[in-house]
Amino acid sequence: MFNALLRKFAGHKPTNKTAKKRLQFTLVCDQLEVNDSTLKRLQGDIITVISRYFEIDRDALQLQVQRDKDVSALVFNTPILCVKKDTAIPVPDSGGQKNYRKKKK
Amino acid sequence: MEGRIIVVTSGKGGVGKTTATASIGAALAMEGKRVAVIDMDIGLRNLDVVMGLENRIVFNIVDVVKGQCKLSQAAIRDRRIENLFLIPASQSDNKDVLTPAGVERVGKQLRQEYDYVLMDSPAGIERGFENSVVSADDAVVICTPDVSSVRDADRVIGLLYARSITPKLVVNRIVSEMVARGDMLSHEDVIDVLSVPLLGLVPMDQQVVISSNVGLPLVMQNDSAAGQAFRRIARRLNGESDLPIQVPSHKKGMWGMITSKFGRK
Repeated sequence: MFNALLRKFAGHKPTNKTAKKRLQFTLVCDQLEVNDSTLKRLQGDIITVISRYFEIDRDALQLQVQRDKDVSALVFNTPILCVKKDTAIPVPDSGGQKNYRKKKK
Repeated sequence: MEGRIIVVTSGKGGVGKTTATASIGAALAMEGKRVAVIDMDIGLRNLDVVMGLENRIVFNIVDVVKGQCKLSQAAIRDRRIENLFLIPASQSDNKDVLTPAGVERVGKQLRQEYDYVLMDSPAGIERGFENSVVSADDAVVICTPDVSSVRDADRVIGLLYARSITPKLVVNRIVSEMVARGDMLSHEDVIDVLSVPLLGLVPMDQQVVISSNVGLPLVMQNDSAAGQAFRRIARRLNGESDLPIQVPSHKKGMWGMITSKFGRK
């Protein structure tokens, strides 16, 4: 229909992808029985631990939920700015982006 | 042979459980099966008005469970469709008047007398839901393609799995125009999120309101797209599991036909 074309030119964005993403995230939270504030605290704790070893960009940290048939995965994605040299524990050489993946059943 | 008890449930209210129960029940009876549909929404009964049998109620499911009447006394025979019976809910009692143990006892008797027994579950996941699923062999979960309904369906599906029932999904009120323009979750999206087997897809249809206005069975109307969808669902439930699922579609305008020819949406 011409209406569809008009909408395309008017910059109409489909909303179903957003709905699906929001649902998948919510369902994982429902099933794990964790709420938003728990996830925020978890995120805070992870930042604290990672910050002990790496200089990271706190604002760029992303928390995502991936859901497959059997497992759900919490994916933390953070750019690493540099490795802290003054830690007693040896850390592997790394630079750039690194994934921290936590699996939960 | 013993009959099967099928619970129709959704978690969320207002997604079409009662319409689905009435329609699937009527369609199964039209396939030649002996069917009872039972309204388990104690205190808020509605299956009777949707089926147009509200004037013939004498006894109800609470009377049956309490042993105050015989099962056959509470079952109202539908005069338009042979072998279709309604056991209404009580309107004056409260949901807690029934116990799962009591319903299970009646369930055994129901299996002896009917080929299919459809339990129309109330919204929610409390006692009313438990009463409806306690004797169920199968479950049909109804959901609409919106976030609140899908979320509640997921919760109910989890509860059914905990009772070792693998539910079958019906996606109701699909507006194919909205799906085509990306403003409604498609049935693929819903299945992807819920990961349960699909039983059928029902389009949004004004006939649902019209036939409930007059208390006529939706499935008897050949011009009702939803009614026809429910008939296919009943056939799939009744052993024709290889009957293909029809995806609701809309009439495309001239431009839609041209663009779809070129593989565009």
